[in-house]
Amino acid sequence: MVNTSKALTFTVQSECKHSRARVAIMKLPHYDVQTPVFMPVGTQGTMKGLLTDQLENLNCEIILGNTYHLGNRPGVDVLKKVGGLHKFMGWNRALLTDSGGFQMVSLLKLAEITEEGVKFRSPYDDSEIMLTPEKSIEIQNCIGADIVMQLDDVVQTTFQDYDRIKEATERTSRWLDRCLKAHKRPSEQNIFPIVQGLLNPELRRKSAEEHITKDVNGFAIGGLSGGEAKDDFWPMVSLGTEILDKSKPRYLMGVGLAIDLLVCVALGVDMFDCVFPTRTARFGCALVNKGQLNLKQKQFESDLNPIDSDCECTTCANYTRAYLHCIVSVETVACHLISVHNIAFQMRLMRTMRENIKQGTFPKFVKKFVNEIHPDKNFPTWINNSLLSVGINILED
Amino acid sequence: MRFSIKQTGCGGERIGYLTGFIRSPGAEIETPTAALFTQGGSVVNLTAEVLSKVFSNTKLLWLPLSNSINLETGVKAQNDGVAKFAGLQGHVTCATLHSLSEDTPSGHFELDRAPLWTKNGKRMVSADRYMDVMEIFKPDIILAIADGRTSLNEGSKRISKAVCRSNSMLKTCVNRYMSSKELQKSSLIGVVVGAGNPKKCDESLRNILTHVDNLTGISLQGILDGPEESRDIDSETLKKLFEKVGEALPKDFVYILEGNWNPSIILTAVEHGWDLFDGSYPLKLTNTGVAMKLNFDVTKENDTLYLLDMVDERYKADLKPILEGCECLACKKHTRAYIRHLLNTREMLASVLLSIHNLHHFDQMFYHARQHIASNTFAVFKQHITKQCEMVKDFPPNRYKGSNGTNIPTENQAPNIKRRNL
Repeated sequence: MVNTSKALTFTVQSECKHSRARVAIMKLPHYDVQTPVFMPVGTQGTMKGLLTDQLENLNCEIILGNTYHLGNRPGVDVLKKVGGLHKFMGWNRALLTDSGGFQMVSLLKLAEITEEGVKFRSPYDDSEIMLTPEKSIEIQNCIGADIVMQLDDVVQTTFQDYDRIKEATERTSRWLDRCLKAHKRPSEQNIFPIVQGLLNPELRRKSAEEHITKDVNGFAIGGLSGGEAKDDFWPMVSLGTEILDKSKPRYLMGVGLAIDLLVCVALGVDMFDCVFPTRTARFGCALVNKGQLNLKQKQFESDLNPIDSDCECTTCANYTRAYLHCIVSVETVACHLISVHNIAFQMRLMRTMRENIKQGTFPKFVKKFVNEIHPDKNFPTWINNSLLSVGINILED
Repeated sequence: MRFSIKQTGCGGERIGYLTGFIRSPGAEIETPTAALFTQGGSVVNLTAEVLSKVFSNTKLLWLPLSNSINLETGVKAQNDGVAKFAGLQGHVTCATLHSLSEDTPSGHFELDRAPLWTKNGKRMVSADRYMDVMEIFKPDIILAIADGRTSLNEGSKRISKAVCRSNSMLKTCVNRYMSSKELQKSSLIGVVVGAGNPKKCDESLRNILTHVDNLTGISLQGILDGPEESRDIDSETLKKLFEKVGEALPKDFVYILEGNWNPSIILTAVEHGWDLFDGSYPLKLTNTGVAMKLNFDVTKENDTLYLLDMVDERYKADLKPILEGCECLACKKHTRAYIRHLLNTREMLASVLLSIHNLHHFDQMFYHARQHIASNTFAVFKQHITKQCEMVKDFPPNRYKGSNGTNIPTENQAPNIKRRNL
């Protein structure tokens, strides 16, 4: 299918000969984004104390905003007056907003879901808010992100009741139609449908098959990364990328751990988001290939190395682990410094993957990466199986 | 470090240079100026990367041990001084025991030891121990350890003890200074204490004069005991004090004033020959969600308040920068509405942007002060600023008047981050 809309063009540049990994340019109204891409989450129109200039220096090309929070504060009126979130926060590159639907899970006590939409009680002023697909798109049209998400009926990933899951999956498809109908700015913003169905392959297949018939420029895989077993997680991702149109970007929601990124890129995912890198930074944890360093630990007291000597971020160029050890959880500067490093870490990992895909060395890179984490070759089954399913055998040299 | 006076104005005000820093040979600081206040060795709210976007020149960092003593192990391991350890090499540092504007318990002094109030509680510090830390921290300027936290209306017995203790501690500091090559790479500053009692203050001044050859300047303490109430001191009292101290001591000393004083008092001190300030004023504003916007143009009458309570609902949809024409990063890129939103949502970027603006603007105040000294028009400038300060006597937010910053709106969301009172 040819993309007729101007709001997104997706050009695949190279594909891995073994796995489903690919490198592409996703041309959006505000920026040309290189995929696979990690999108840091700036919930309320800001990224954890970092200036937008710093985010540009970190080579962030697209970041997330959160519709539910932004709709409350600063509110639609202010965003309208400013001319959208880009201008409000001083960010000239691409933005993506979620639909506000995820808050159904995180704020479930406050929400009542009906066919019409989701009824929230505002945690800010206790007023009742009805979030319908139309309302979600109206707010997102006003925020003005390059990519907006459909409102979906979200059920906790580990939820077991088949009827409820089926209802949510089918409702998500009905809400997609309503979202697309309500969309006022199709030439500037792209609605991504969200594949639902939790861990049920049959529902997920149906959801994905339905979504690919719509006139949209990309897809999201939702309802995962919510506490399910990894062995249950990857087949759902794989099912999604198998069915979803190869000529359009595929976005896996809420995934951002290094090993998950690696596996899911191999499975053909192009976009990721996760609060983890910046959240963990606030607790004094710095990301490294092998996992994370908790800089609060006494072992770093006199450690004059940077967090990661291979890292090119301004934190690693200028600060030692010993210094960060002294100020984590005491000074806000520590959050900023570790956030910078953690975002740089994610960006570097994605860049390295893109380079390896382009050079045809992606399977080799994957093997090297997993062997570094598990030098004893005692790989968890899901890593082994998922990679094997796309032709990368990490057990053979 | 050398202090040279380049030009004096009509009053006691002067333009000077701090140069010849042994550890930062090329560095040059033009005075009068304010230091940048640090916590844990970092300029509060600003990483080295962001700081370099705010100031391209060398700045003086104000380093109270109360919030940085926990760096000791690391600085010692690296053995290259506290500025380098905190990622701020190239800037010069001035170390002291406490920030004079911190609220700390009173008393707790021992015969030859002073209490150091850290976030982990009290530590008793002798003059020897203090100089041990200085040998490790290697700041460019060392304020001698002293018992300077007494208010002007303190009882004479307390003041008497403070002066006596400070004199003996200064002696130890000077002895240690004289016998250490490492310490001699720094400049030692004497601390004037006991300002509440003229006789005792004279004693403190006389004592400083006995060490005059080993000192580069003085810092005037003994005015405040920390709590906010003691800051309501009228400018006449301070003027007399500035005169007295200035007359007693050599003119070529660097004169330092610590404390969270408003611009009017600061310029009064400048008028009496004071050169350096500790930078706690803009930090206090930032911590309380307030932005400053003094009008520096003496040809224009000013009819708006120079302080903006950025938390106020009125800025919700205000698309102007904090101060039109301001060259700081925050004003060039962001609106009042955005900063208000960040404060309202308790996002860390609020403090970053307010720090950027307030530090830049406060620095600009000193720039303009120097310009006016150079053109012999300082009195006009001071009058112009004083008028604006008088307008905000009843500046509304209570949290701004409050004795500490515990209920401030800029409290960031990071867990376990306790903001120190300032």
